Amino acid sequence: MTKNKKRITFLIIATIISLAIGCQEERKSIESRCDYDGVKIEPIYAVYFTLQDGTEKKFCSIACASMSFPALKKQIKEVRVTDEPSGAKIISSQAFFVESEIVTVPHVKNRIHVFAKKEDALKHIQKFKGNWVENPFLS
Amino acid sequence: MILNALSIILIFIGVLSALLAIWGGISSLILYRKWKRPSRPEEKTSLEDRSYLVLLIMVIVLLIRLINWPLFYVTLQSFISDIEGAMCIFGVTQVKVGLTRFLEFLKPTNFFLIGGWLILHFLDRATKTSPLMRKKLLLLSIIGLFVLIDSLGDIFLILGIAPESLVSCCTTVTDILNRPTRTTPESILGPEYAQSLQVLFFITHLALMGFIGVSLKFRIFRRLILGLLSLFAILNAFVFLLSQIEVFAPRMMHLPFHHCLYCLWQYVPDSIVMYLLFILGTFSVGWGFTTELFGKIGEASDLLPNYLRKIYWFAFFFLSASLIMLVIHLLVD
Repeated sequence: MTKNKKRITFLIIATIISLAIGCQEERKSIESRCDYDGVKIEPIYAVYFTLQDGTEKKFCSIACASMSFPALKKQIKEVRVTDEPSGAKIISSQAFFVESEIVTVPHVKNRIHVFAKKEDALKHIQKFKGNWVENPFLS
Repeated sequence: MILNALSIILIFIGVLSALLAIWGGISSLILYRKWKRPSRPEEKTSLEDRSYLVLLIMVIVLLIRLINWPLFYVTLQSFISDIEGAMCIFGVTQVKVGLTRFLEFLKPTNFFLIGGWLILHFLDRATKTSPLMRKKLLLLSIIGLFVLIDSLGDIFLILGIAPESLVSCCTTVTDILNRPTRTTPESILGPEYAQSLQVLFFITHLALMGFIGVSLKFRIFRRLILGLLSLFAILNAFVFLLSQIEVFAPRMMHLPFHHCLYCLWQYVPDSIVMYLLFILGTFSVGWGFTTELFGKIGEASDLLPNYLRKIYWFAFFFLSASLIMLVIHLLVD
């Protein structure tokens, strides 16, 4: 009986320790990751949703942001995307969206590229067989 | 082939266990056929000696195969950085989809069969006359075949995964609106299926623990009851899996739209412990049934109730521990 009790105590302690370590790891991993699928964000492809309450949601690609958009639509105040050539954050309504054969974020096979200047977008279209696409964040 | 320490270990274990499974499977089948034939005392002694040697070696092989299941996933995890487009194990499974899916079903099956056989083996060893020896040898030859297929599968998979393969990962499969894990419960439980699924899981899980508790308290170890308990454990496992994908995993990951369990293991590592406890708890219920089914012979029958009590006590403990871990997670979040 004493032997059994020792085993039980050991198992319970091991469970609690693993739980505690796990919870800490979890918090570390959530920061600076995509709010859709948890992947580490490449800054030049990032998309940001500013919500009505002032909080911000960040996404690794246009694909992940588009998938989250319908559910968050009512809470969104502003959508900002990243200009690929410069890395600057711009409001999505002012951006140019191009779909081409180049994949930006492989795990979601995202082919939509964002540009602040029309001439950059045109260059990309010519170079990589692209075509214009509509702003995916129109409400 | 992606060469790293884990893939080399997996191939080494695969080759070794494949060879020993062929030898052990054939030997145990021959011994099974010879065991019941009347023979002279010296022949009987030689047969017993051979049987013990086969059992000794096969027990080691089977114990290694038990470890192989988690090792398989650790190895796939180690390949993520070499597969373009993979962000979790799901991406790696997409390189050789058919073979990986097959192995993902075979490995838990083998784990269950091996665990059940080992319990029978230990029960038989506790007796003086080895009444389960013949059954053990027959079952061992069948398990040998499963181990062989599993080992060869491991080898072919590791050799077949080419570095720099381009795949799509879980987001494009597990998060789409018409995923079966969403549409099936939604068609049965309605649009608020997530809430219902959550409640259903707690009901089935607590009911399973309650039934095990009653069996332990009143020492009800009848075959029919244990069979029904095993079926209920399978149902509970199905509800657990569904509720994890649809409700609990997104909550634990803090990613409300993401439903990938491989990502859960990556982002919330202690969930692996929770899953392990759940698997051991569920399998223990099945192991109790198989032990009763195959172990009720001669001298072993007297030892059986005590063994069953221990197995079901473990099932109760593991299922409780996994539930506590889940509840703590939900409360902390």
